[in-house]
Amino acid sequence: MSKRAFGIVTAAPQYFHVEGLHDYRPIGAFSFLGRYRVVDFPISNMSNSGIDSIQVYIGGKPRSITEHLSGGRYFNINSKKGRLDLLFSREGARTNNTNPYDTDIEAFIENLGPIERAPQPYVIIVPSYMVYRQDYEALLNQHIESGADITLLYHRVDDAKEHFLNCNYLNLNRQKGVLSIERNLGNTKDKNIFMDTYVMKKELFIELIQEARKESSMFRLSQIISQKASELDIRGVAHKGYFASLTDLKSYFDASLELLDVKKAADLFDDKWTFYTRTTDSCPTQYFEGAKVRNSMISNGSMIEGTVENSIIGRGVTIHKGAVVRNCVVQAYSEIGENVHLENLVVDKWAKIGHAQEIVAEADNPGYIRKSDVI
Amino acid sequence: MSQSNMLAMILAGGRGSRLHDLTNKVAKPAVYYGGKYRIVDFPLSNCANSDIDVVGVLTQYESVELNSYVAAGGRWGLDTKDSGVFVLTPREKADSGLDVYRGTADAISQNIDFIDKYDPEYLLVLSGDHIYKMNYDKMLQYHKANKADATIAVIGVPMKEASRFGIMNTDENGKIVEFEEKPAHPKSNLASMGIYIFNWKLMRKMLIDDMKNPDSSHDFGKDFIPVMLNNGKSLYAYEFKGYWKDVGTIDSLWEANMDLLDKKNELNLNDRSWQIYTEDSPCLPAYIGPDANVDVAYITQGCIVEGDVHKSVLFTGAKVAAGAKVVDTVLMPGAIVEEGAVVTRALVADGVRIGKNAVVGDANSENILLVAKNVKEA
Repeated sequence: MSKRAFGIVTAAPQYFHVEGLHDYRPIGAFSFLGRYRVVDFPISNMSNSGIDSIQVYIGGKPRSITEHLSGGRYFNINSKKGRLDLLFSREGARTNNTNPYDTDIEAFIENLGPIERAPQPYVIIVPSYMVYRQDYEALLNQHIESGADITLLYHRVDDAKEHFLNCNYLNLNRQKGVLSIERNLGNTKDKNIFMDTYVMKKELFIELIQEARKESSMFRLSQIISQKASELDIRGVAHKGYFASLTDLKSYFDASLELLDVKKAADLFDDKWTFYTRTTDSCPTQYFEGAKVRNSMISNGSMIEGTVENSIIGRGVTIHKGAVVRNCVVQAYSEIGENVHLENLVVDKWAKIGHAQEIVAEADNPGYIRKSDVI
Repeated sequence: MSQSNMLAMILAGGRGSRLHDLTNKVAKPAVYYGGKYRIVDFPLSNCANSDIDVVGVLTQYESVELNSYVAAGGRWGLDTKDSGVFVLTPREKADSGLDVYRGTADAISQNIDFIDKYDPEYLLVLSGDHIYKMNYDKMLQYHKANKADATIAVIGVPMKEASRFGIMNTDENGKIVEFEEKPAHPKSNLASMGIYIFNWKLMRKMLIDDMKNPDSSHDFGKDFIPVMLNNGKSLYAYEFKGYWKDVGTIDSLWEANMDLLDKKNELNLNDRSWQIYTEDSPCLPAYIGPDANVDVAYITQGCIVEGDVHKSVLFTGAKVAAGAKVVDTVLMPGAIVEEGAVVTRALVADGVRIGKNAVVGDANSENILLVAKNVKEA
C-alpha cells in the first residue's frame, strides 16, 4: 500500500453529454467491452500501482456505480488497511446538467474533510471517463524526481479536429513545461490532449481549491492551474499506449469497436496489469447450431444462434436465429429477435428487439436503442 | 445458523482415481467442470442458495489446492459474521495420535467438536463430487414433515444400471424398508445420491457408538445407515428429479461437459435464480477472431478462438489458434491448441499445449482421450 499518495477519481465535467446512455448512469458506470465498467480502468490502475486509498466521486444515479464498487473487494484493495470511498459530487448529479457552478472544485470543497484527513502527502487525481493503462507509482516517482509542483499526463494525438472535442489540451513549451490548459475546439489536428490526470502535493491541491473558489464560483481545477502556469512549475508527461476519452456516443462506440483490433487491444491490456471488475457469476456463453461469430468480444451468460460480426456482446444477451448483429455494442440482458438486422448501434441494457426488423445506422453516426426499450 | 438450523458437511476427501492424471495433484471435488467451475462449486452453491450458512468441508487426499480454494467462502457469499466455509482435515488430538478419516462416517465423528460449536438441530451430509442443483431446504421440509430420524436423497436410475448403485427399497409413503448396496437383482431403481439429513442429537450418539465398534468400516452406506435401519429408526427417501451426475471417469466427465451444449440442457447454468458461484478470474470476455468458426460450443471469458470450434467446451483462458480445429473436445483452463493442430474426442487437461499441426484424438475412438501432457508440434 502506498504511504505516499491517495487517489481521487473525478466525475465527468458537466459539459460532456453522451446521448442516451448518460440518461441512466454517469459515464464511469457505462458498460465497456461487455464485462467492464469504465471506472474499472482508473481504479484498477490505482490498485495495481499500490494506491489503495481511493475516493471516487459520484454524481447522480448512484445505484449502478455503488453496487459495482461495493467496498473494493473485487479490485484487490485491502479490506482493512485500504479504502474505496464513494463521495457525492454535484457535478454529474443531473441529466443534462448545464449548471456551470457544479464544477470539480465544488465537489472538492464539498469533500474537503476526507481530503484534508488523508495521511498521504501526495494526491493523484484521475478521470472516470477515460480509458488508459498507467502506472501511477511510476508517474509519482517521475513527479518527485523532476521537482515539479504539478505533473499533468497528456496524450499526443493527430486527429483533434474531429475527435476529443471539448477535452482540454496542454499548451507546452519545448521542455514540456505547461504554458496553459485550453479547451480543444477542433481547430488544429495535432494536440496534446490532457488526460485530466494530476499529481501534486496534497497541500498544494488544497491551496488551489481554495484559491479557485476565491477567483470564481465557476472555476475548474484545470482553469486555476492554467492561471498559475507562470508562477508554478507545471510539467506535462506524455502517455504511451491506448487512450480513449468517452465523451459522446461516437467516441464510446469507436473506442469499443476499435479494441476488437488485436494490436490496439495489446496497447491497453497486459497480462501483468489486471483490470478488475465485479463478477456477476454468469455461466459461460452457449453457441448453438447455426451461430456465426466473427471478430467479436462475447461476455458470459449469452446465448447465440444468429450472426455476430465486429461487435461487443454484453452479459446475458440472447441473439436468436437468423439475426444479424454487425458493428454493434449490445449491452447486458438485451434480446435480439429472429431475423432482426442491426448495424452500427449501441443497444442499451434490457432492450428487446422483436422479429424481423432492420435498424441500420451509419458508422460515423451510430444509433442508440434505449434501455429496456421493446421494439 | 440463523436461517435453517442445519449445518452442512461436505465429504471431499476422495481421490477419484478413475480420473487418472486429472486427480494426481488434486482431489476429485477440485476437478474443473463446465467452462469455469470446479465440481465442489455445486454443493457449495447449493448450500448458499438453500440458506445454509455454515459448511464444513472434509478433505484428505491431495487437499492443498482444494483447501485454499474452498477456504475463500466469499466466493459463495458464505463470509458474513454468521456464515463460513471451514476446511476440516484430519488432525492430531490430545487423546489420540494423528488419525486419517477411516470412512465417511468417521470423518463426521472426528469433527463432532466442530459441529457442537454451532449446536445445529439437523446435519446435512453431502458429497463433494456430484454435479447437480438441489434445494436442500425442500428436503429438510420433507424430513420434518415425516418426523424422520434421517432422510436420504434418491434419484431414479435406469433399472438395468441399478445394480451399480446403493438402492433404497421404500414403502408407499417413501419410508425406507431396506437398503441394498449394489444389489445383483435390484427391487427398485431409487439410487442413493449420498445426500443425508440427520437429526444431530441422535446422530451424534450413534456416531460415538460407531467409532467404538471394531467391526465397523465407519462408512455411511455400509455401516451407519444399515445400523439405523436395524435399530428400527425411521428413514425416508426424498426423491430428487433433475440433472445429477457422479463423474467418476474421463468419459463421464467429458459427457457431463457435452451435456451443456444442448440448448435445453437440464442443468441450465444460466438460471439466475439458482446461480452456481465460483472463483472469479479477472480476464477479458471471450474473443472470437475474424476467421473463426464457432458452432455448437460452450465458451467462457478469457478464451481466444481464432480457429474452428465445434461441439466443444472451452474453459477459462483456453486458446484455439488460427487454422486449428477442435471438435467434440473439452479444453480445460489455459489449454492451448496451436496453429493447424486438430483435436478430436479429447479432454485436454489444464495448461496443456497442443503443438502446431499435431493431430490428437480420433473421431471413432470408443473412449475419450485424456491429454495430460504437452503434445509436440508435428
